[in-house]
Amino acid sequence: MKTIIPSLRSGLVSSKEINVCILQSDGTNCDVELFYAFKKFGGNPQYVHVNELRSKDKTLKDFQILALPGGFSYGDDIASGKILAIELISFLKQEIERFGNKGGLVIGICNGFQTLVRTGLLPFGNLGKMDVTLAPNDSGHFECRWIKLKLELSKCAFLKVNSEIGYFSVNHGEGKFFSSPEVIKKVEDRNLVVFRYVDDQGKSTQVYPDNPNGSLNAIAGVTDPTGRIFGMMPHPEKFVDITQYPNWRREKIIKPHGAFIFEDMINYVRENL
Amino acid sequence: MIQVIRVKNIVGPKRDKKVTKAESAKVYRLEGASEKQAKILAEKVFCENIYQAYTLNSPIIKGAREVIEIAYKPGVMNPEVSSIKKVAADLGIKLIAADSSREYGFFGDVTKTEVEQIVNKLHLLNHMVEHIVKREPKTLVIKGLPGKTNIIKIREMNETKLSELSKDKLFLNLEEMKVIQNYFQKIKRDPTDLELETLAQTWSEHCAHKIFKAKVILDGKEKEPFFTRLKKEALKHSKFIVSAFVDNAGVMDFYDGWAINGKAETHNAPSAIEPYGGAMTGSGGVFRDVVATGQGAKAVASTDIFCLAPPDLPKEKLPEGTLPPDYILKRVVAAVRDYGNRIGIPTNNGSFHFHGDFRAKPIVLVGAYGILPKKKAKKGQPKIGDLAVVIGGRTGRDGIHGATFSSAEMTERTTKVNATAVQIGNAIEEKRVFDAILEARDKNLIRALQDLGAGGFSSAIGEMGAKIGVTVHLEKAPLKYTGLAPWEIWVSESQERMLVVLQPKNLSQFLKICKKYNVEATEIAKFDGSKKLQVYFGKEKVGDLEMKFLYDGLPQRVLQAKRNFQFPISNVPIHREESSAYFQFPKEPKNEKEWIAILEKVLASGNINSKEPILRMYDHTVQGTNALSPFTGVGMDGPNDAAIVKPLLDKPYGLVISHGLNPALTKLDPYWGSIWSATEAISNYVAVGGDYKEACLINNYIWPFPDEEWLGKLDASVTAVCDFMKALKIPVISGKDSLSATYRGSNGFILHSPPTLCISVFGKIPDVMKTTSSDFKKIGSTIVLVGKQDLKVDLKILPKVLDKIHKAIISGNVLVCHDVSEGGLVTSVFEMCIGGNCGAEIKASGDELFAETAGCFVVEVEDESIAKKLFKGAPFKILGKTIEEEKLKVGGLFTADIKKLQQVWQKPMKEIFG
Repeated sequence: MKTIIPSLRSGLVSSKEINVCILQSDGTNCDVELFYAFKKFGGNPQYVHVNELRSKDKTLKDFQILALPGGFSYGDDIASGKILAIELISFLKQEIERFGNKGGLVIGICNGFQTLVRTGLLPFGNLGKMDVTLAPNDSGHFECRWIKLKLELSKCAFLKVNSEIGYFSVNHGEGKFFSSPEVIKKVEDRNLVVFRYVDDQGKSTQVYPDNPNGSLNAIAGVTDPTGRIFGMMPHPEKFVDITQYPNWRREKIIKPHGAFIFEDMINYVRENL
Repeated sequence: MIQVIRVKNIVGPKRDKKVTKAESAKVYRLEGASEKQAKILAEKVFCENIYQAYTLNSPIIKGAREVIEIAYKPGVMNPEVSSIKKVAADLGIKLIAADSSREYGFFGDVTKTEVEQIVNKLHLLNHMVEHIVKREPKTLVIKGLPGKTNIIKIREMNETKLSELSKDKLFLNLEEMKVIQNYFQKIKRDPTDLELETLAQTWSEHCAHKIFKAKVILDGKEKEPFFTRLKKEALKHSKFIVSAFVDNAGVMDFYDGWAINGKAETHNAPSAIEPYGGAMTGSGGVFRDVVATGQGAKAVASTDIFCLAPPDLPKEKLPEGTLPPDYILKRVVAAVRDYGNRIGIPTNNGSFHFHGDFRAKPIVLVGAYGILPKKKAKKGQPKIGDLAVVIGGRTGRDGIHGATFSSAEMTERTTKVNATAVQIGNAIEEKRVFDAILEARDKNLIRALQDLGAGGFSSAIGEMGAKIGVTVHLEKAPLKYTGLAPWEIWVSESQERMLVVLQPKNLSQFLKICKKYNVEATEIAKFDGSKKLQVYFGKEKVGDLEMKFLYDGLPQRVLQAKRNFQFPISNVPIHREESSAYFQFPKEPKNEKEWIAILEKVLASGNINSKEPILRMYDHTVQGTNALSPFTGVGMDGPNDAAIVKPLLDKPYGLVISHGLNPALTKLDPYWGSIWSATEAISNYVAVGGDYKEACLINNYIWPFPDEEWLGKLDASVTAVCDFMKALKIPVISGKDSLSATYRGSNGFILHSPPTLCISVFGKIPDVMKTTSSDFKKIGSTIVLVGKQDLKVDLKILPKVLDKIHKAIISGNVLVCHDVSEGGLVTSVFEMCIGGNCGAEIKASGDELFAETAGCFVVEVEDESIAKKLFKGAPFKILGKTIEEEKLKVGGLFTADIKKLQQVWQKPMKEIFG
């Protein structure tokens, strides 16, 4: 299979400062590379600890993008992302709603995705009510490997190109996108699926390890109905430099495969906010 | 009243394949919540009704013949509890205490005995830290009255009494006990228990390294202490050293005002009893060492090296009281996974070494590496008036041996507290501590840092105040539960704690940072210029020792050593006949079938087979810094020699990390085995593009208890390390020794673990783009062997070979490079074919193919003329060419199918780890 590189992207639109809130909590551990990814593609990222939002020392008002990094928030005790999700619902519900209403973008990667799902923001924007879950991997353990993703034509407001395939790193123990058949159908019918795990032929797959966790319909990333809240299990921020990819010495990489996600978010904000 | 919530999966994730008629559930116990509040928590927090169901105060597994609940023993910290309390508090529910556990239900026709057998077979119950809950606990709160400080009447003791006192709890020899007795006779009082514990801890082998600092008499001739010899040679090569032998980790120069540091440490004894907790706390400890260097470093990489008995060792060969190796293997891997992944430090590199003689005392060796500003890389020294603040985890009765509660002082529950409990690490606690330290460092708030590891406060505060004196208020230390005596608080080894020394004016800003990261911080001591160690518990003075006596009073040991051993290995290639043992060919293989059989045996053997299933559970990509993965190639399944990390994401600079060891060979010959280990380490380093001239070494000795003979062998190994430094002109800048790898069974059975020297290498390269992996890149290219195939490594030729390889790689003419190691050159070529999804056609004799000679490299270049240009002046040999057909063709000997060999090579670990 030939990897299609997302390379034909528009250049940066203007030089308006785009503030990105990199949300930290106890156990966040992919914040530095996420910070770097946004910075590399023109954003102005800042670290904000959830305690600083709770104490009102900092506010989401100052940001256009809210980014929830990977890691093990509060040890992933009870369930991954659960405790942070409840903290966000309990103390920052209005602030998040205000942020969403003014058109801000939200991205959750890995543990950030788990958190967004457990707040209910993904996939249906029901803050406070869970509709799907990210259950333990079918393999029964943490998976650290590179898989292929296909970008679907979806409701996502900023990722619009169809059928692109790229390599991404997965690093999680609880990533199985799961719900009842009716809910999964609703997710599909509303075009909320942004990324799927695919095999060598580029077809969505249920076969391990191409589908590393057993996600239903090979769902790896989803958006909410507004298209502005987005989450995915694989890590685009871990492939924004060529040397981050294991086979950079043998494959010609024109552009790192995770780059377009950050570029497109930044460009969307430049054009729309 | 305790509310009990039970949660069970009803759809979704598959059941455990091994048990067909069983169900499991999670149990949460909440003390201080009403039934209504428990219901809220169950629905919002504990149970996800998408795939789970719950019950409140009633069973959830119904119709089972047997249900058992397995929980942590009271007093063992359950990392989940603080999260349960936090989430409840966030929902406005205040809990007094909480716990979580697991429940298993067994269906059908099973008896109690069969259930017990299943529990044992699947290791569902870890006896060291867990128990089966027989009845509902009445309370989850552990409390007791604080123990008292006792005076030990040491002045009046005779030699027998002194020995008894030492044997029970202090572990000092009679001479040392007498020095202590004399001291207290001189100052005309008897010591407190805390003072004796302080002396015992400070003078312990673990903390004082008495053997490495001892005068050694080798065959009647006096030699300098091992430590002095290593340090003297190292400091001759100090060009890059920022800090060596003084701080928690060695530091070398990096680029742009940055420095890098490294440390490796064993955690063998706890891991032998409880591999999961032991390996976890081993990781936690070495990570703290790296972070507590200078005024604070960021940990950016880690390595894990395990020496175990072969997983298929027959049960009857296990010595009394030891755990089966397959269990240890699975649990140490789970520990690295759970601790390293959670704390967010990539596990980039590691290895496994199997040998039957590790069956009693396995080795768990963790390395960690960090980056820090060079101007904050020197060990800090407290000044008079500075404060010591303890941050992170609370102090409990962890790691205190022989501690006993007096039953009159305890509640019903407290009696069950296991005083010597092995701890379960809490990676998140440690992560927040690191986050807080790095922010405080960048705000210039930190004077000095010390890890609270072995010896606890006693070691950390004592060492910090050794030069100027310190007053400690132990009653301020935050405790996990009440009931600890002052000396227990003082020497407790509870994990995830750090000591931060700062000026009083910085205290409030520091506490604010800690609060932001949810880190508990408590001022506990003040450096006062008294040149004394004064310890108070409230108003009571429980310790008062002169620093001079405490740190300089220990007499130097004089040890006898004998070198009565022969070097048994001759200079002929040695071949691997079975896992972890070195033999020559039983007989030269006669035909292709026999050659392939030998090769398959080698590839399947423990040290050589593919560890990919393990590596796929360790996170090596976290932090986004990885520039050479453990596996690369078309199928990302070809193994690489070392790790390359790009610690500054926006810079091209690389931190290269590798290691080498060979317990089996070091057992045969301590000198040449040690040289081999160091050569293997530096070859791994150079094979990926590292420059050996800009690297530092870390040495770790894991040796049987040094009687005269073992001390003589240790002497040979120390000589080897010094010779190696001299030959390559690079220093050792950090190291550790653990000289207790001898097992003594109750029936007089003695087993020495193979003596082991592990050399780790770390260093810098200016550009990660100028590095290589091991997967063949082209078809029809030339395969070259560079280096002299010699088991006794030629230290004159080695630097030349390393230099040629390095220069060839940075010239851009090397397509691929892989070092020759265990399994020989044939294994290297095979692994390169795996990564390249191609084959190779080579010419070599059987001896050349299988000789396990360190310091040699297999290199892929475009054609012969390039090879001749690149490697002129060093020993090299053209082996052959890469071919498209996935076959390994060895001229005149055999043609083997790569895919078939790959199955053989991958099978053993796939079977264990699924």
